[in-house]
Amino acid sequence: MKKIIFILPLVLALFTMSCEDFLDVNTDPNNPVSVTPDLILPVGQVYTADYYQEDRGLNHLGNMIMYNWSESYGFSWYDDEFKYLVNTTFYARLFDKAYLQPLKLYQDLQKFGDEYAYYKAIGMIMKAYHFQILVDLYGDIPYFDALQRGTNATPVYDDAQAIYDDLVVQLTNAIAIIKAAADEATTIAVGADDVMFEGDMDKWIQFANTVKLRILVREYAVKPATYINDELAVIIAEGSGFITKDVMVQPGYMNEVNKQNPFWAELGWDVSGTVIMSNDATCATQYVLDYLTGIVDARRDRLYETPDDGHKGVEQGLEVGKEFSANLVSNIGPGILKGADMGANIFSLAECYFLQAEMALNNGFGGDPALFYAAGVTASFEYLDLTAAQAATYLAQTYANVGWANSPNKLEAIITQKWIATNGISAEQSWFDYTRTGYPLNLPLSAMADPLKGRPVRLAYPASEITGNTINLPEQPNAFTSKIFWAN
Amino acid sequence: MKKFTMLFVCLVMLGVHIVNAQQKTITGTVTSSEDGMSLPGVSVAVKGTTVGTITNINGQYSLSVPADAQALVFSFVGMTTVEQAIGGRAVIDVVLEPEVFGVDEVVITAFGISREKKAVTYQTETVSGDNLRSAQSTDVSTGLVGKVAGLQVNIQDNGVKPNSQILLRGLRSISANNEALVVIDGSIASAAALNDMNPNDIESVNTLKGATAAALYGSNAGNGALIVTTKKGKKSERFTAGILHSTTFEKVAYMPDFQTEHGTGWDGEYNNIENTNWGPRFDGQVRQIGPTFADGSFQAVPYAPVKDNVKDFFNTGSTMQNTAYFTGGDETGSFYMSVGNQNTKGIVPDDVYKKNTFRVNANKLMGKVELAANVAFSTDDLDVVGNTIGDQDRPLYWFLLNTPANIPLTSYKDWDNPESYGYADNYYNAFYQNPYWAIGTNRNNVKSNRLVANLSASWDILDNLNFVTRASVNTVSNRGKNWRARQTYDPVLQPYHSTVSSFVEDTESEATTYNADALLQSEFKLTEDIGLKAIAGTNVNTYQYNYSYIRANNLSIEGFYDISNGTGQLEGVVDASQRRSVGFFGDLTFDFRKWVYLNLTGRQDYVSTLAKGNNGYFYPSVSASFILSDAISALNDMPFLEMFKVFGSNSTVYNDLAPYRINERYTQGRTGFPFPFGAINGFETATTAVDADIQKEKLNSTEVGTNISLFKGRLNFEATYFNTITTNLITTTTPSFASGASSYLTNIGKLTNNGIELSIGGTVIKSGDFKWDVDFNYYTATTVVDEIKAGITETSVESYTAGYGTFAIVGEVFPQIKAVSYVRDPQGRIVVDAGTGNPVVGPLKIMGQTTPKHTLSFNTQLHYKGFTFSTTMDYRTGHVYYAQGSDQMEFTGRSMESVMGDRKDFVWPNSVIETSPGVYVENTSIPITGGKMDFWQNQYNVIKENYVKDASAFKIRELSLNYTLPKNLLDNTGFISKVTLGFVARNVLTIFPKEKYIFSDPEFRNTRSSDAANGIGIGGYFAPPPTRSFGFSVNVEF
Repeated sequence: MKKIIFILPLVLALFTMSCEDFLDVNTDPNNPVSVTPDLILPVGQVYTADYYQEDRGLNHLGNMIMYNWSESYGFSWYDDEFKYLVNTTFYARLFDKAYLQPLKLYQDLQKFGDEYAYYKAIGMIMKAYHFQILVDLYGDIPYFDALQRGTNATPVYDDAQAIYDDLVVQLTNAIAIIKAAADEATTIAVGADDVMFEGDMDKWIQFANTVKLRILVREYAVKPATYINDELAVIIAEGSGFITKDVMVQPGYMNEVNKQNPFWAELGWDVSGTVIMSNDATCATQYVLDYLTGIVDARRDRLYETPDDGHKGVEQGLEVGKEFSANLVSNIGPGILKGADMGANIFSLAECYFLQAEMALNNGFGGDPALFYAAGVTASFEYLDLTAAQAATYLAQTYANVGWANSPNKLEAIITQKWIATNGISAEQSWFDYTRTGYPLNLPLSAMADPLKGRPVRLAYPASEITGNTINLPEQPNAFTSKIFWAN
Repeated sequence: MKKFTMLFVCLVMLGVHIVNAQQKTITGTVTSSEDGMSLPGVSVAVKGTTVGTITNINGQYSLSVPADAQALVFSFVGMTTVEQAIGGRAVIDVVLEPEVFGVDEVVITAFGISREKKAVTYQTETVSGDNLRSAQSTDVSTGLVGKVAGLQVNIQDNGVKPNSQILLRGLRSISANNEALVVIDGSIASAAALNDMNPNDIESVNTLKGATAAALYGSNAGNGALIVTTKKGKKSERFTAGILHSTTFEKVAYMPDFQTEHGTGWDGEYNNIENTNWGPRFDGQVRQIGPTFADGSFQAVPYAPVKDNVKDFFNTGSTMQNTAYFTGGDETGSFYMSVGNQNTKGIVPDDVYKKNTFRVNANKLMGKVELAANVAFSTDDLDVVGNTIGDQDRPLYWFLLNTPANIPLTSYKDWDNPESYGYADNYYNAFYQNPYWAIGTNRNNVKSNRLVANLSASWDILDNLNFVTRASVNTVSNRGKNWRARQTYDPVLQPYHSTVSSFVEDTESEATTYNADALLQSEFKLTEDIGLKAIAGTNVNTYQYNYSYIRANNLSIEGFYDISNGTGQLEGVVDASQRRSVGFFGDLTFDFRKWVYLNLTGRQDYVSTLAKGNNGYFYPSVSASFILSDAISALNDMPFLEMFKVFGSNSTVYNDLAPYRINERYTQGRTGFPFPFGAINGFETATTAVDADIQKEKLNSTEVGTNISLFKGRLNFEATYFNTITTNLITTTTPSFASGASSYLTNIGKLTNNGIELSIGGTVIKSGDFKWDVDFNYYTATTVVDEIKAGITETSVESYTAGYGTFAIVGEVFPQIKAVSYVRDPQGRIVVDAGTGNPVVGPLKIMGQTTPKHTLSFNTQLHYKGFTFSTTMDYRTGHVYYAQGSDQMEFTGRSMESVMGDRKDFVWPNSVIETSPGVYVENTSIPITGGKMDFWQNQYNVIKENYVKDASAFKIRELSLNYTLPKNLLDNTGFISKVTLGFVARNVLTIFPKEKYIFSDPEFRNTRSSDAANGIGIGGYFAPPPTRSFGFSVNVEF
């Protein structure tokens, strides 16, 4: 009995004495509290690719609105798209995911010290890239106070034009940071973890200039010429020019579960070689097939798979019968579905040339728009694994909006060719251009859509903002009439 | 530590103060009428004074009494108090009778502290093991339903191992756990441990309904507690062995209401391969279903409804339970041992569940120290159909709901035979697989082992000073294997089916709680009138959890389910967490002449989950009870009034933060499609942002009530009002996603939980061999969200993108369902579109609370000679639920609603058109558009208000009739001492008084790991339909 008497205080004493250590078990063994930027950057970039190319991603939306894609018999997957049902859940992911995935990571890169200046600059460039897309989709959005996580759970909405202006400033700053960091011995180089440019900072500068050009082209009509000219002068003075290749995210996509290229994973074949249902469900519109067939365009058979009995499309929103079953219609083609291991396009060289063509047309920037135009068409052919010679043959045709000389309206030619060049790749750009310019002309509306309303000009603020940011959310703009500032 | 020592010394010193006065000595022995054994610890007092003593270990006493003493009062917990006139006697021996409905019964409270019921200053209610088992429920939770006021047990599915949720007095927290703490034999265990127990091993379950009652448990106290006491052998009991067998059969009680007018087809046209019921009206003609085979043949069936085609898919399930038990004891020790097994076959073909339980409870008194060990080990084996079936990863019920009314489903059992219509390539349904195929090719097997061991030592240091220490472990390990076979299809016969990929998943998990307590208890008189029961204690708790999961896809060898068989990269997750706490507590109960009790408790806790230096919390409680019937002579004199007690209490407890939550952490990058890509790895900040100043969640509970006992305990009345205000709610709020986080963990808002419990029970008739006991319980509790945060009026608890979910909304009862609604004019008429005639789709609207406003339960037992009839029924009302299954049936055209317009365009009843803003004109002419199909699938189905149903339900939960053979019959056998035969039935009857069409039991809900525990009210279609069961039981004792 006495033993217990002695043991007891001992035990109690042990508990209390070792209390400090005993309770010191709040370190998560499975999740680190901090990591270095080289582990953050690739995730952001892969998210950028997902945002763009995954199922119901940005490119997908563009292809639906720009009448590139339709639906084969037996599926009712795209009713919302065909109805232009722009409500708070319609492609809400384009708002939600932008902030929650890529932007969150690019913002996270900003917290590191000067030795990680390259990573910070990359983060700034990618932020500008994404925020422009968000403005183009939504207009006013949370920007200056966004991405502060717990520090500001309900960021206010900023004026779209003000955001555009700041994006240009941020891109200029990012370039300056890269140049300054190059002279610092302590700067940590970016390596293979940069799955866009493998740490080649010159290419980052070119990309920054290219994003800036996209901004300036878009807002050209609504900004004073002096502003545009000053900013173009900055690009010229900087001297690195624009991108010279398609900008791809390529972390090493492969034919493994969860490791396929996101566009392939959406519309191609699964790891075991089974066709993904979306591949069956998604096909060409008859209109776009006719368009590409009327003017002999080698790109047709690269953009759309050729069925045994020849090309066949479905007009959007039209109720069709079994003769339009998946195996009989033109599904997504091999020029854009190249393989599970293909890189994910986030900015095409063709678009870069068309942007230069448009700016050249505007104010003579960079030289002759015809050259940029031809280069854009050629880059489009090459993207689809066709040759420059095939592009030349195509351009030699004397149709309007094909041959430069035969095109009475040069802007229409540029924007129409951009529509074809972005088909299946970055079709949302064509939508933005359509809202701004009305080209391509005569693009049909979906049969399910209300012809009085027409094509939407923006997306609605998502449901998440109604619940999460009620105090700041502006009134929902009219999705069919309330254009983004650059189209007014 | 110093304080602790001081307290200890104080207690010892106070204890030495013993009452002393003498003139005359009386001695005697007190024995029990039950077994004739002596009773130690019986209080012997001179009537009308405070002079007294207690009997020693042999039941003997010796008391000096004043010369003028008139009588002695002998009292002992659980025994009827006896008064004996002294009348000059020097030796007074007394036999005490056990008290059946005693107000003096002992209640086991927190940390195994036993208290006289009248000394308890908060509401508790005990369910005996016999009552719990009356209908041979396989798990304890089910056995508790409807038996305690304020206890809401939600049986969330009816699988072979059902999930349940145990709530006391409703909800107090938006995000934190609201389930009651489970304590087994004095040590913290878990609800899962409770349900793994053999119900036959349970002596009683005491519910500590409020936080005050459980305050000594610190951060675990907020939700009240179930104090489970297992059976012990009785001291000096003869050796008894018994066997108990029960067999019950289980059948589908009711199916969803299905339409039976239309069958296979699409948009009004017959279609031989559809999963939907949008074909023409049934005409009885024989028509092709499924593909045309190479030889031109096909399956043909009459185009007519097949009665119960889905219901008949389900089998009659069965459960066999066997328990053998042994119990006995001598003067110094006792034991109880049991071995049990359960073998359940579910209503879903091939679903089986097996459980084995072993228990040894033993105690031994050695001098002044009593050692006890309660050890239970259980193993179980669950083998059920997987729930990621087919190429769309659907649950089994989905495939049944996608079976049209004219399909002879039960004829497709032969799924493995290429010659059968049930074979994958031959099956009629072009979009969803044969459910029999699903059962054969998708299996989920989970085996678990659990050990709940509890060791204790109790040392009576002095007569009134006792030291108890306990150490316990509750550990469970699970091993799971979930697999799916590959299925390819003939592209000609099944052009719309895509290959079902194969996989195998292995999971292992282990959860262990270690718990150690030490308590020093003392009871003594401070003055002649004032008594004190003082307790000081400490508690150390550790919880550890490990989980690992590995999955291989696209297996090479058919039918071989091992990770080595996978191709491509393996997927895997390992997770581990640990939480520790150390607490010191004190509990002082003062009494004034045993009329008034004042109970003060305090606990200081230190937890591992908060930042050092900021991780200590104090949990105080104060409570008092006043025994009016003893204190007020007028009441005392009322012959029929046994006890009249009023009590009140207040306590403050805190809900703890989960491990590791104070910091934002990185996870491996890319949600759903994790890194690495080759050599490139990636991490990202979590989707949840964490408030840098996160603190514990505070609960302040107040309770007042009364217990009235009349007619020697034959009629008991209990009433309690309770109120809990929760502030600093640790809540995952929904921020703007533009903040870069999809959720934000912070302290917000205020909830007020209010309610009333009423119980009336007693013995209505007791006459000769006939006895009738009844017990009514009424309970109401509402939790209202007072505030969330500036600018935020609601936060989502469980949301579905499809337009409905559960929410916490300011000014409303929590949780609340919101759903996409109709638009109505001021008169409540439905607004339709002037062009289409279709109801206008409105915004998300508040639809109602999901916890019952009123719960009424009724238990009764009729005893006549050897017969006992008992029943339990309850009625829950005032709440709604979302019938997810009904929602799904709209697409398939199987719902009753889909035929209400005869599949034609019709003018929506009682509808209006808004001609100009605010002006509504009755619609008498414009019919809906697409009534053949499109309307139902794409308009009606979008208005989720249609699937919010009134959850009011009356249920006869249990019914049993037991017969115990008369003793004299058994005497002849010489060795059988007891035989009881029983008939039992569960869920005999369910009535939904307020709904025309029902889908399933409103208590059912999805319980996948992704479903929020507090998202009560979303009734899923993952569980098979509700069942009723009936069977028999036999109990023989030797």
